[in-house]
Amino acid sequence: MIFAGIDAGSRSIKVVLYDAALDSPLCRGIADQGVDQARLAESLFDRTLESARLRRDQVMRVVATGYGRSAVRFADTTFTEITCHARGVWRTAPDTRTIIEIGGQDSKVIWLEANGRVRDFAMNDRCAAGTGRFLEVVASRLGVDLATLGELGNSSTRPAFISSTCVVFAETEIVGLLADGTDSSDLAAGVQKAIASRVSVMVLRAVVPPVCFTGGVALLPTMRRALQQEVGCEVRGVPHPQYTGALGAALLAADAR
Amino acid sequence: MVSHCKEHVLAARAAGQPVVGIMCEYAPRELIIAAGAIPVCLCGGDPDTIPAAEAHLPSNLCPLVKSTYGYLIEKANPFLEMANLVVAETTCDGKKKMFELMSQARSTYVLALPHREDDANALDQWTLELNRFKCFLEERYRVEITTSKLREAVVLLNRERGLRRALATLMKLPEPPLTGRQLLDFKSIVSGMASDLDQYERALAMWQLGASTVPETRTAHKANRNGAGGVGARPVRVLLTGVPLVHGAERVMEIIESHGALVVCQENCTGLKPILDDVQQDAPDLMRALAEKYYRLPCSVKTPNRRRLRLLRQLADEYRAECVIELTWQACLTYAVEAFQVRRLVENELGLPYLRIETDYSPADSARIATRVEAIAETVRARGRSRE
Repeated sequence: MIFAGIDAGSRSIKVVLYDAALDSPLCRGIADQGVDQARLAESLFDRTLESARLRRDQVMRVVATGYGRSAVRFADTTFTEITCHARGVWRTAPDTRTIIEIGGQDSKVIWLEANGRVRDFAMNDRCAAGTGRFLEVVASRLGVDLATLGELGNSSTRPAFISSTCVVFAETEIVGLLADGTDSSDLAAGVQKAIASRVSVMVLRAVVPPVCFTGGVALLPTMRRALQQEVGCEVRGVPHPQYTGALGAALLAADAR
Repeated sequence: MVSHCKEHVLAARAAGQPVVGIMCEYAPRELIIAAGAIPVCLCGGDPDTIPAAEAHLPSNLCPLVKSTYGYLIEKANPFLEMANLVVAETTCDGKKKMFELMSQARSTYVLALPHREDDANALDQWTLELNRFKCFLEERYRVEITTSKLREAVVLLNRERGLRRALATLMKLPEPPLTGRQLLDFKSIVSGMASDLDQYERALAMWQLGASTVPETRTAHKANRNGAGGVGARPVRVLLTGVPLVHGAERVMEIIESHGALVVCQENCTGLKPILDDVQQDAPDLMRALAEKYYRLPCSVKTPNRRRLRLLRQLADEYRAECVIELTWQACLTYAVEAFQVRRLVENELGLPYLRIETDYSPADSARIATRVEAIAETVRARGRSRE
């Protein structure tokens, strides 16, 4: 009884294969998102199946989610990231009442009822300033990769204040800060603080603990700490935060049995 | 609808009837019709006219106001080009100040709408305001608006409102015969047109018959065409509230109805809000009756606007809404602020999921709006399942 969840995000595609009999994820796969979304999702799916030594006909049901979900033509149905993250977190941390999800191009806050159902949600609108894209822009300006950016922030004593609410303008602002001799560790810490503060605006409508952090940006441990400071309560991590949506999709596929 | 409206207005103008542009549901069209003129809605719904408007207006202004003004600059709205007069109202400061600019190119008349709700003085003032407007029309068009002419116009528009109400009522059915988008198409930009009334009657006859006998007319169910949230899932019943979806700006409704939901009720100015009340046509003081009907409109410019909350309560119940989606155009202050109270009513009192969409006319955020609509539809379905 194998089920698959595919999260076709804006920056990467994630696959989780889930064995309902064992009640356990079997295998995970990830690939960069690109131009031919349908083909990329399909080849990632096949590669993941291969590494789990499975064939397509052994998969009972496929659920796709994420920004590119409609491009996943071999999926049986689709669910939004909101429902999938809620389902994924419900399995890994069932007492969670608030989820903060920060992905490549958007950020969301999802409030859960005690039974794990979505009670309410908020999403960033027309702006990427509270998303992983912001981190990428800064990392590329500093000439480091994302993991290094997170670590760089650790040695900051005075995080830079980045006020722009638009990634494009923020980049200009960062160029200016660099020209003024701002330390790159302070910039790295500053950008994480800026993202956390944008996202916390959505959370502050109602902070219901326990709060849990998912999405690709949650791979940076320093982001979780930045969020804790802005939100004002403990923010918990989950294992494999990047795969939470794909896991939720696989679980929803299994729920439909 | 637009092409036959244009023909109608062109023909009427050729026959000597003046065209009067209106911008709001508060405009008492009965008076305009009784003066022998044709009331035509000029609210702009086209994103393409906005850049021209931004040469004069700030970019941080409601897209409806900007689009309307952009049409003037680009001379692109045939109805505005034909308009001899534009009637404006003080329903929003953006509009009010835009009219000052518009008045340099067009004759405008501003109706000062009192903003306090349920207030006898305000109603007196509004009655006076409509009487002044009546005198203005009489003088401008050299006609006398007699009581019998006015009553005729009242009867005509009561009939129009009644027919549109009856069409909207079809959406109360468990399986509505049409989509919210189709219903929206019945809102004409010209008021009191005989061909519209005929069309309403034919549509009603067809659907009222269809609802009881012919299952093939259940077009609404095709709305859920992408199969999201489970193949063949029943569309979620949405009460749509907030700002109007004027001609050309139907994008959000289309997104809602192609992502697992069906707009069964529109509590806004392109939906039920302005057509729920009629003018008491046998009233001894017809001008007072006219003022009363329009004064009661629960626009967010009213303070407080308790009538709108009561209406939402009533409509959510009558149309068996499963969630409420509120649309606010960017920079529409009054609706944006009032959204706080609407959310509280919907979540705490009605116990329904609430989604607020703030956008403008550009399609840049369509995919994001779609995700949010799908998510609220999924939330409604999951709640339904956990109750079962």
